[in-house]
Amino acid sequence: WQKVLYERQPFPDNYVDQRFLEELRKNVHARRYRYRAVVFQSGAVVQQLCSVCVFVVTWWYMDAGMLSPQGLFGAALVSSLLGYILFDAVDGGAGRQESGRTRWADLKSTLVFAAFTYGFSPVLKTLTESISTDTIYAMSALMLLGHLIFFDYGANAAIVSSTLSLNMAIFASVCLASRLPRSLHAFVMVTFAMQIFALWPMLQKKLKAQTPRCYVGVTVLFALAALGGLATVSSVGAVLFASLLVAISCLCPYCLIRLQQLKDNIHGPWDEAEIKEDLSRFLM
Amino acid sequence: MVLKVFFPSCCSSAESGILIGRWISEQNSAVILAVVHFPFIPAQVKQYLSEVQRVTKVSVSVLGSWSNSKQEKEESLSEFLEDLGTIFSHDPWIQISKEGDSNFWSCSTLQKHSNNPKEEEIILVYYDQRKVMLSHLHPPLDTAAFTDHKADDASKLAAIFDTVAKSKILFMTDRYDDGPIKLTHWQSDGVEASIIVELMKQASVPACMLLTFLLSLISGICRSRVLKFWPLSFLWSKLSTCEQLGHRLQHLQVISSNKKAQNHTQLMRKANIFVSLLIDVALGILLMSWLYRKNRIGHLADTLIPVADHVAEELQDLLQWLMGAPAGLKMNRALDQVLGRFFLYHIHLWISYIHLMSPFIEMILWYVGLSACLGLTVALCILSDIIALLTFHIYCFYVYGARLYCLKIYGLSSLWRLFRGKKWNVLRQRVDSCSYDLDQLFIGTLLFTILLFLLPTTALYYLVFTLLRLLVVIVQGLIHLLVDLIDSLPFYSIILRLCRSYRLAAGVKFRVLEQQDGKPLRLLMQINPLSYGSVVQTYRLPTYSCYPKDTWTSLCKKLFLGELIYPWKHKGEKQD
Repeated sequence: WQKVLYERQPFPDNYVDQRFLEELRKNVHARRYRYRAVVFQSGAVVQQLCSVCVFVVTWWYMDAGMLSPQGLFGAALVSSLLGYILFDAVDGGAGRQESGRTRWADLKSTLVFAAFTYGFSPVLKTLTESISTDTIYAMSALMLLGHLIFFDYGANAAIVSSTLSLNMAIFASVCLASRLPRSLHAFVMVTFAMQIFALWPMLQKKLKAQTPRCYVGVTVLFALAALGGLATVSSVGAVLFASLLVAISCLCPYCLIRLQQLKDNIHGPWDEAEIKEDLSRFLM
Repeated sequence: MVLKVFFPSCCSSAESGILIGRWISEQNSAVILAVVHFPFIPAQVKQYLSEVQRVTKVSVSVLGSWSNSKQEKEESLSEFLEDLGTIFSHDPWIQISKEGDSNFWSCSTLQKHSNNPKEEEIILVYYDQRKVMLSHLHPPLDTAAFTDHKADDASKLAAIFDTVAKSKILFMTDRYDDGPIKLTHWQSDGVEASIIVELMKQASVPACMLLTFLLSLISGICRSRVLKFWPLSFLWSKLSTCEQLGHRLQHLQVISSNKKAQNHTQLMRKANIFVSLLIDVALGILLMSWLYRKNRIGHLADTLIPVADHVAEELQDLLQWLMGAPAGLKMNRALDQVLGRFFLYHIHLWISYIHLMSPFIEMILWYVGLSACLGLTVALCILSDIIALLTFHIYCFYVYGARLYCLKIYGLSSLWRLFRGKKWNVLRQRVDSCSYDLDQLFIGTLLFTILLFLLPTTALYYLVFTLLRLLVVIVQGLIHLLVDLIDSLPFYSIILRLCRSYRLAAGVKFRVLEQQDGKPLRLLMQINPLSYGSVVQTYRLPTYSCYPKDTWTSLCKKLFLGELIYPWKHKGEKQD
């Protein structure tokens, strides 16, 4: 018996011999994950969740009047200065030289953005006066959820859009900031949102690339701070949040690795051909 | 084949003689124009016919013989008539004879060089010569829908009408003239001896020349450079009165030109313009006399200021309502107050302006009312212009609201693209992804939020003022429609269709008369006049008509995007 159909053979057309499916290969390209690596990468998701949590808690405190805008502004200013110095110190100035961005350009954009926000803060404050509080809460929640979904966690997927996630976060912050009592509150809130949603992830990416151990420590500290802040607001929330964090950082990697073993991709000579050679040598 | 003989009804009682007319061989029909009586000299007849043929370009020839005998058929006369056939060679030679007072004539043809010896069937069609001569046959309007068969029919009829119409000179010779040839055909009742008509005809030539001179003077002044400077030319183009006056000036030029009308269409056009102008001026003078009696102008001027005040007050109330919570909608209070106060200040300015003008209103109206003697259309145009001037503040508000809204919509659409991380590629005319800087993103999102939340307020103001503006536009549009109607309706043609309906022919209809066995079929041809709808459609005067510029969908799209709308397009304006 020959594996051809263009010759008359005494066998029926659908006959197969014992070499059937000899060339079947299973899970040739399946990745093998290691638990520690996956847990390490899930730190990015944990960080974002904690950022959102910290932001909401801060807003809550400002709304309740327990946090003064000047205090928040001072704290944020100090921490951003620290972060700025750390950003350059971590890789010894190599990144700055590579991107070619001068300190003066950084200062200019900071000034522009601060002036703009300060100028528009009275408008921002009265923006949602006539809209009901429930609508504002719902909109902000949706926007923050969108921010988490579209954030660039390092995966190479089509849904990722860092622009969209940042814009959604800013939109949510403006919505929430318009509920605060005075325009100074609004200004400080928006500035704080900008720092925590735009500048903090940049610093963390760099830390993750350069000093993994430091990064792990910072993530854990940040998570604890967020939990602590949430606990002072609502204990039920804190418990739920803690369980969510544990689930994402410990449970999900375990599930991923377990389910990976159930993968069942088959490959064989019936696959589409992939050109592996570099054909540019045929170009004139 | 059937032979058709068209016989004029006025020759039914003529004495015996020979028939002259035109033979149309494609249709196998003979159109008889007149009867030449005995005695005559054949050579003279032939000379006369060739002269007529030269002048009218219609191939007139001797077609046959006609015998009208009061008593029984005379054998000798019939032989004589047959012999005539040999002198005037015509194939076929038609012989019609009438006995006594009977209605049934006998027709026969003499085929000299024919192949088939059998008798042809003859159909006798009577026609009214005067009516056919005066009428104008209109081709069918939708020629595209016609098959060849119907087009042939139309051209056949056209040939017959043409024959009769062009042979006018034949009908000019009188029966009582002392010439070598005695004819019987349709006779006019003599030239009108009315002195007034003659005088008018004599006086019309110098009157036309005077009018042409005056008109050239006026148009020379209008075209002078003085009136073309920028503010004035802009004003002239916006006022519809000037356009209407220019249009009427053109009409006057057409009717006062010295050239005679070449064809039927031009003649009808001139007549229509003349009658339309007359009716217009008559109605205008009527209006003027009504206005100036009992000091109605004064009353009108007195009520104008209170009406303007009332309109302004209503607008103020509307703005106060908008500044509150209109219809339960949630407006941004700060923006609301700003816009509301801005518009209120405008109304205040407008009211002061009107009050400043109030002492002069009566005098202005009085002089303006005098211009109604130029025609009702001019008066209506002036009315439309006055409405436009009085509602100028509504127009201003509409423009402010529309511009603000348009700006907002464009800003929002551009910032929405920034929100999703995309950009408009002007080169490729499409939306592309783009990586923005951090500060661009931030400021863009901030502006987007602000614009989004301020949208309901701006949109409401825009909606209210657009509705007001559309109302004014609709009123003006109706007035212009009326003006157009008076301008373009062909009054003269309609009156002609009423009084002398045979002048405008759409076709003919045939009535079957009494028949007798053995005698040819007799039909009476009557003219079918054109229907009123086709009359209006054919003879409409062209106007600078204003009709809607945009379709409904594009109008809605423009309204939605906040672009300024000018719904009526005038023919002279450039297209965007």
